[in-house]
Amino acid sequence: MLVLSRQRDESIIIGDNIVVTIVDIRGDKVRLGIEAPTEIPVHRREVFEAIQRENLLASRVQPRDVSPLRHPSPARNTPKAD
Amino acid sequence: MEVQTTRFGPIQIAAEDLIRFAEGLPGFPECREWVLLADGRNAALAWLQSVDQPEVAFAVVSPRRYVPGYRLHVARRELEPLEFEDLQAVRVLVILGKSDRSITLNLKAPVVINLDRRVGRQVIANGDLAVQHELPGPAAARKRIA
Repeated sequence: MLVLSRQRDESIIIGDNIVVTIVDIRGDKVRLGIEAPTEIPVHRREVFEAIQRENLLASRVQPRDVSPLRHPSPARNTPKAD
Repeated sequence: MEVQTTRFGPIQIAAEDLIRFAEGLPGFPECREWVLLADGRNAALAWLQSVDQPEVAFAVVSPRRYVPGYRLHVARRELEPLEFEDLQAVRVLVILGKSDRSITLNLKAPVVINLDRRVGRQVIANGDLAVQHELPGPAAARKRIA
């Protein structure tokens, strides 16, 4: 792994269009600013991995697994209070 | 064109039925082309079937029909690749999973589809939402009988 030292407000650039900036450092927490083209997904790793795991499980769901799914009750448009 | 599926056998679809996920879905980066199939038994249920991998399909539902008050909050950049102008063309669907006890909904990562442009993306919603939101129901009981 490439390891670079950076101070607050300094950046690194990945390729020619992804910029990661150290926005703030407080204690053991670092805030990063990320500029990347919108077609490049940027996510917290643990969240992305949880979704990956869930997708792998969900992709194996068979029709019999979801047959107990109830038909939803007809959309009740409860009037809003305001 | 014919799409092979392990759940439903071969299916005839038109080219305009295809929905393109430019980055695939998390865990399935190579699956770019998908098709949305209605479920024959439950009108509330649909299947997002991979065109590339016959065994890969997700059962999906509209979240608001099962989780009243569900609203999608998502970073603008997440939706930009979908290029929608008209909100009427946008469908938000959530993927069904299963836990030991029940059917679950992935509320954290809904699938957003622009039906006009036939493009989709699984986005990651802001906020504290469950990847496995359990639905109340008889799933567990039925499983034991079967």
